[in-house]
Amino acid sequence: MIKIQYQFNRTRELRLLSHLDQQRLFQRAFRRGDMPVEYSLGFNPHPKMSFALAMSVGLTSDCEYGDVVLSEEMDCDEFVKRMNRVLPNGLLILSARICEEGKTSLSASITKSEYQLIVKLAKPLSIEDLSTALNTYLDMPKILIQKRNKKGKLVEKDIRPFIDSLRINLEKATDKYATILMSLCYIEQQCVKPELILASINEEIEDLFIIDPTIQIHRKQLILEEDS
Amino acid sequence: MNNYIEKNILPLVTKPITYLGNEVNAVHKTPDADMIRFAFAFPDTYEVGMSHLGMKILYGILNEQKDIWCERVFAPWVDMEEQLRIHNLPLYALESMTPLKDYDFVGFTLQYEMSFSNILNMLELGHITLLAKDRQEEEPFVMAGGPCAYNPEPLADFIDIFVIGEAEEVILEIMDAYRGFKKTDGNRTDFLKIAAKIEGVYVPSFYETTYDDATGIIIDFKPTVSEAPEKIKKQFITDLDAAYYPDKIVMSYTETVHDRISFEIFRGCGRGCRFCQAGMIYRPTRERSIPTIQEKIKALIEATGYDEISLSSLSSGDYSKIEALINTLVKEYDGEQVGLSLPSLRIDSLSIDMLEQIQKVRKTGLTLAPEAGSQRMRDVINKGVTEENLLDTVRTAFEKGWGHVKLYFMIGLPGETLEDVSGIAALGQKTVDEYYKIDREIRNKNLKVVLSAASFVPKAFTPFQWMGQNTQQEFKDKQNHLKSKIKDRKISFSYHDSSVSYLEAVFARGDRRLGAVLLKAHEKGCRFDGWGEYFDFEKWMEAFTEADIDPDFYALRTRDYDEILPWEFIDTGVRKDYLIAEHKKSLEALTTPFCREHCSNCGIMEFKEGWKCNDQNTVSV
Repeated sequence: MIKIQYQFNRTRELRLLSHLDQQRLFQRAFRRGDMPVEYSLGFNPHPKMSFALAMSVGLTSDCEYGDVVLSEEMDCDEFVKRMNRVLPNGLLILSARICEEGKTSLSASITKSEYQLIVKLAKPLSIEDLSTALNTYLDMPKILIQKRNKKGKLVEKDIRPFIDSLRINLEKATDKYATILMSLCYIEQQCVKPELILASINEEIEDLFIIDPTIQIHRKQLILEEDS
Repeated sequence: MNNYIEKNILPLVTKPITYLGNEVNAVHKTPDADMIRFAFAFPDTYEVGMSHLGMKILYGILNEQKDIWCERVFAPWVDMEEQLRIHNLPLYALESMTPLKDYDFVGFTLQYEMSFSNILNMLELGHITLLAKDRQEEEPFVMAGGPCAYNPEPLADFIDIFVIGEAEEVILEIMDAYRGFKKTDGNRTDFLKIAAKIEGVYVPSFYETTYDDATGIIIDFKPTVSEAPEKIKKQFITDLDAAYYPDKIVMSYTETVHDRISFEIFRGCGRGCRFCQAGMIYRPTRERSIPTIQEKIKALIEATGYDEISLSSLSSGDYSKIEALINTLVKEYDGEQVGLSLPSLRIDSLSIDMLEQIQKVRKTGLTLAPEAGSQRMRDVINKGVTEENLLDTVRTAFEKGWGHVKLYFMIGLPGETLEDVSGIAALGQKTVDEYYKIDREIRNKNLKVVLSAASFVPKAFTPFQWMGQNTQQEFKDKQNHLKSKIKDRKISFSYHDSSVSYLEAVFARGDRRLGAVLLKAHEKGCRFDGWGEYFDFEKWMEAFTEADIDPDFYALRTRDYDEILPWEFIDTGVRKDYLIAEHKKSLEALTTPFCREHCSNCGIMEFKEGWKCNDQNTVSV
């Protein structure tokens, strides 16, 4: 029995998948690729597979991680080749490696994630003004947002510690869209959604961005503990 | 258009991935001027349509042709419709995202009457002229087929070409005729005349109906051009075993209604239940052989990655070698995490043994369909199931650990009394009693018996096609009566408002005058009538009033045997005198045997040259 950890990307073609759709897609791709996937025992056996992070609808990414338990030995290159043959356009496995037992789980070892967001501007805005706004925002010692907890009660949460950096991608700036680069921290396996930061800037500074599902969010990189 | 929709519209709607056409096994071609473009249209949501076997077969058949590109289009959900309308974008077929109006053919499958309003809505959203007579030269030919095409008349105003019966062969004949036609400089009417000559094709614009002024009853129905035949012969595949079956199917990313490989093991049914339209129109019974089934299922699993197969047919237990088939498949997929399921089982304890064999793990609900509560009523409808059969079956099921049993019934059957209706409650009670006879240690801890009673809709080409449906008040009284007879808390009762069944009855046996009603209803915004949250009975009633048409005339009126019925120009192979004889037998509660055991001469034997039921309906292995 071996556990294979693989890195993959998701491009435009399949960015509108839901996380559940994507899980199902991988499950079927493993079967099409004739992978000897291990199943859980019990009344309702499930394939032993998981993903480091959930992917929301609309998200594209260069760096997702998944793992799967196989009942037979498998060469990692062979795994990548066979999977890419059966995966649809829009999902591509970049690399794979055998996971040693007893290691920290993937999701527990994420320290930072980097995003690029393309968002419509509420009004034409110069780069300077936008930059000033972001800096004013980052200078705030505390940024409180209202959040529902698991019991459905509204609680306050300080999101400032989750923001590592916020920058404008100057090359891609137009007067209608802003391209924002964000680095977010994981604290106790928790993070904030990048679009929430934009909404919070609107709230704290002024209405700069149009917050709706057409914001294009791209996950550029996940930094794992072992990398830093 | 593609990029704009993906970026600006799809993020705003639910299940955006279903509007992109980029699924695994979706067919993409590079079109050229000679390519025939076909949009296969399912007038309901993606999740419903993607579960439909007929679409998968025809999609495969058409796309096997190099010069034909068949794509799919479904009724966009209301949020997507709103976006298309706001942005003034046309409805498109998924693979190439081409507007519907730019196809050569748009072919609708008619699975249920309550999807008719969606057809009009999809045509409008696709920027296609609604009325066939007003369609311009460059617009697509709008086709329709499927079970509801056996009474095509309510849609006659909107459809250019109907295909009656199984379309696997005739669709290619039509395509071939179109290839030839494209080389000429003929107009729409010229092509329709060519199509009308193909057996199984019905072009409604070439027929004329005359009604009696006083009664509104049809007194004449005849073709107006020499190319159109007086009778349309339904088409069926003689050799099902050799017939096309897709070896790969388009994989939905989202979960569909039947999210598994549905493998059709045989077609037709010889039980002869008198209420059942499918049992009459899909005759004769034809089977696929075990090796064919085995081979095709293997290919499908490899191409899709599905881990569940459902063996589909009208009555799976009637496959002549069902036990051998199940043994073969169970052996083949043992230990492979591939599940088998067997829907549409008859009520007998043998069925339970088979279920037990294939469903090794979870014992989810068991659904059985006695259809009627009293023996007399079951004999009237020729269900061929006794109370003893049913109780034996549930006893076996309880012994093997099932605890949740759902029993399907109909109310409003011909000649039904309140006593027959009470029989439904009594049967529910006897089912509960069977459970308590089983040892506590053996039986499931949780017992639940659900009685479900649908309101009966008489259908064309059945022995009950002349019968007036019960009124909505009668249905209501029967539902209340039944409710009052259920005493045990382990029994729950489920039923629906009968207004949907009433409209179904209107369209199932309506004529072409209903086109005006459909148009009015569409203008009022009727669509997704099969979805409770969008069904608006008031709007429909307004549409009838404004079109000056009395729906009772179609739903409630009992018709004479010699009245010209709107669908009688279609020859299904099952003769009218057989249907009359069956109807007469039903009045005396006389039953008719399973046709494999005893042929009752329904007419299908003489229908097609070279066809003989008992030689061919059981394929030797």
